[in-house]
Amino acid sequence: MDINYTSAQKQFRAEVREWLATHVPKTRLPSFDTAEGFELHRDWERILAKDKWGNVNWPEQYSGRGLDLISWLIFEEEYYRADAPLRVSQNGIFLLAPTIMEYGTEAQKARFLPPMASGDEIWAQAWSEPGAGSDMAAIRTKAVRDGDHYVVTGQKTWSSRAVFADWCFALVRTEEGSERHKGLSKLLIPLDSEGLTRRPIAQLDGDPGFAELFFDEVRVPAENLLGPEHGGWGVAMATAGFERGLLLRSPARFQAAAERLVKLYKEHKHRLSSGVGEQVIQAWMNTERFCAATYQLVSRVQAGASISSESSANKLFWSEMDRHLHRTAMTIMGAQAELEEGLDAIDNGRWLDGYMFSLAGPIYAGTNEIQRNILAERVLGLPR
Amino acid sequence: MDFRFTQDQQDLIDAAKSFFDGENTPERMRKMAAGEQVTNLWPQFAQLGLLGIMVPESAGGLAQQLVVMAGVAEAAGYAGVSEPYVEIAGITVPHAKEGELSGPIQRAVLSDLRPYIDALLAENGEALNSIDPLRNLVKAKDGNDKNVDSVNFHGAVLTAAQLIGLSQRMVDMSVDYAKDRHQFGKPIGSFQAVKHQLANVYTQIEFTRPIIHLAAIKGGAAVHNAKVAAIDTAMLAAETAIQVHGGMGYTYEVDLHLFMKRAWALCGEWGDRNYHMKRLEDYVLNGDAELGPGQSFA
Repeated sequence: MDINYTSAQKQFRAEVREWLATHVPKTRLPSFDTAEGFELHRDWERILAKDKWGNVNWPEQYSGRGLDLISWLIFEEEYYRADAPLRVSQNGIFLLAPTIMEYGTEAQKARFLPPMASGDEIWAQAWSEPGAGSDMAAIRTKAVRDGDHYVVTGQKTWSSRAVFADWCFALVRTEEGSERHKGLSKLLIPLDSEGLTRRPIAQLDGDPGFAELFFDEVRVPAENLLGPEHGGWGVAMATAGFERGLLLRSPARFQAAAERLVKLYKEHKHRLSSGVGEQVIQAWMNTERFCAATYQLVSRVQAGASISSESSANKLFWSEMDRHLHRTAMTIMGAQAELEEGLDAIDNGRWLDGYMFSLAGPIYAGTNEIQRNILAERVLGLPR
Repeated sequence: MDFRFTQDQQDLIDAAKSFFDGENTPERMRKMAAGEQVTNLWPQFAQLGLLGIMVPESAGGLAQQLVVMAGVAEAAGYAGVSEPYVEIAGITVPHAKEGELSGPIQRAVLSDLRPYIDALLAENGEALNSIDPLRNLVKAKDGNDKNVDSVNFHGAVLTAAQLIGLSQRMVDMSVDYAKDRHQFGKPIGSFQAVKHQLANVYTQIEFTRPIIHLAAIKGGAAVHNAKVAAIDTAMLAAETAIQVHGGMGYTYEVDLHLFMKRAWALCGEWGDRNYHMKRLEDYVLNGDAELGPGQSFA
């Protein structure tokens, strides 16, 4: 075991810290779930991309720096330490990009990765349907091959960022008469396609953070098929592995929140009951445990291991840790907890936003109930 | 940065594990608890190099880091090793004074470490009864060990490691039981109410092991975190395991209690939950240490 950063990694950390100190916007950007906030976050992606900071672990040919995942963790640590804007491109860069790198053709990599990296094309996920949530294999949206196109008809929902995004990656039924996990394919679809209607859905905070997507004979070029035709379930599970397992939620995000929580506790300490301090310590301890586990996972991945069912434990841990951390903040704020913004709202309502968002964690990326089933059946070997 | 055991380290841990699992079976534990004669493992611990894991090469040891001993301690916890092997090899031996170092190891090689330990215990005070039938406790006199910080460090880390080994054993026993036991015409392990509880324990184990490894290498606040996390995980594992076993889990006949009682006992050893939480209180709430991203491995 070796827990020392190399001198190159230490130098890299210093370089990231210095760049962020001069480039991170001085005031927090408005939510990327508003039209204005979305474009401001897109501008930030362009600034990151210009100096090659957007995806440091991507190959250089796709505007990355070709660095290892430890360096990516270092970047994330510095990024959240600097309180830099959330990544509006996260569905693309963290979920779709690794899938394209694994399953995409050379032409697809060249076509999709550079504009994703530059912020010119921002991606949304289109998997869930009204009748296919936790039971994702119940997908009914169909794609019928017609010459060099697929014709897509059906409905998707809970598509995050889709109101303002440019493209979506969809899971659709390409094989007529197929059932469950068979006969599905992954298609890359422009959100401004003819026949595609987006209906914004307001989230708890009132902003249209996701959309329902209606496909009425939308024509999609056959070259936008990602991975094998009718083999989309396997491709989707690879994406889900990235989502649950590693990339979507790095420890730094939660460690930064825990550090802010301690600060909040100290400011309000005089009026808190005795148990609150222990909850704050517990929240911090959880983020450290998550960090240690992530470094161990990354060390294994770099040595060639793949992430499989154990990614479900990861998703359970971070989502419940995040909810507990933010609930503790709500407890500390007491009567001020309900204030959304303004001078009397602590941190301008940021904790309340964070608490609401933390409630989504145990639901998105596969509900925690599904994750527990996966662990019990595929890791522990309990009967179905 | 490669936060994994090297192949050599893993091989050593695996070898220790198969030895512990093979020798210290529940049948052996039961015989020992009943005061019957069992195989003496001390000479084998010594011959296999397991007593000298942390001893310098110059003294005939394997000169391994504490984190490797933690891997071995997890395996010993899993097997419920009846002897205080982890405490001797991971705490006593590495803190033996110069000149004494070869003492316990040589004695063990020659015959048996047991008399050495018994002499030590007899010197220190009167016997106490633990709920764990395999623990020989004595009331210790106040010590004045110069190495107290290092001893406590080893003790906390290795106890935490044993606790997650015990937790994993209790999960595995519960999984076996839940596959076998049928109610309503199905194995009870097919019910989500059972599955989800065991998945929760598994998750806690997976998110405790790495902080134990970090604690073993880095020391500091990670040690307190590791011990508290291991205590909470082990208590959850024990309560979940007895629930999954139902009435059978409440009996002396089913092996679960042997591991559950060891877990209860170890939770309070080498700094109980209060001790470590108070240290964390000082560190997190009352101190000025950097707590956010980037400090964990720095």
